[in-house]
Amino acid sequence: MVEVLYFAKSAEITGVRSETIYVPREIKALQLWKEIETRHPGLADVRNQVIFAVRQEYVELGDQLLLLQPGDEIAVIPPISGG
Amino acid sequence: MNTTTPSLCQIKSNHASHAWNKKKRNFLSEECELLRGDMDEVEEKSKDIINFTAEKLSVDEVSQLVISPLCGAISLFVGTTRNNFEGKKVISLEYEAYLPMADNEVRKICSDIRQKWPVKHIAVFHRLGLVPVSEASVIIAVSSAHRAASLEAVTYAIDTLKAKVPIWKKEIYEESSSWKRNKECFWASNN
Repeated sequence: MVEVLYFAKSAEITGVRSETIYVPREIKALQLWKEIETRHPGLADVRNQVIFAVRQEYVELGDQLLLLQPGDEIAVIPPISGG
Repeated sequence: MNTTTPSLCQIKSNHASHAWNKKKRNFLSEECELLRGDMDEVEEKSKDIINFTAEKLSVDEVSQLVISPLCGAISLFVGTTRNNFEGKKVISLEYEAYLPMADNEVRKICSDIRQKWPVKHIAVFHRLGLVPVSEASVIIAVSSAHRAASLEAVTYAIDTLKAKVPIWKKEIYEESSSWKRNKECFWASNN
């Protein structure tokens, strides 16, 4: 059970800022993305532009194996534009 | 604000005069200032001041925060909303942030700066929400004994903020809006 946070364009696409989803404790980053995309097909438009932040560390949508704890925060991070 | 060192002030108070007891609070801070002046080894603690706020930013306020008697230079960067983009009229920018991570990433930038340059205080203020044309969205202030360090540190700070800190801006035009992408963003190439 993890908390997914949406920001900027991704929040506009999903219509929500956050939600709880249930995923295996060990999951590859790209698989996690696919789980999320299943729930929000509109996110396919941004797949090539986003990155995750898992427990506030950036993780690319690739083969990296994530070891998730219940309550972990996963943020969907579109291309940033601060400053 | 410099914090007083209680133990040093107490040492002085053992020799307190009548005048000291009457004007306790003012005298106390003056005494501590005198003590600090006597002892070159008592260092003014270096500060990283990071603030995300919806309130209008003040260059004066931010630069005051990094003043130090040990420093001969304060360098500043101020980012303001520009009124145009690719021929379109921009009315306002709107900012949002993944706050705890943004704060953390700015702290990492401050830590990097301290490894690379001899700076004293660092202040990074970023505004969230609507920032109308010509108002400041970001102010970075760094103080150092001599100017090269703070000038370089400020450049590094804004360049790295744009590359790594999870903040987003939306350009609001008359008839539409658009989420922006910094060219510094390390994971998304400009299509």
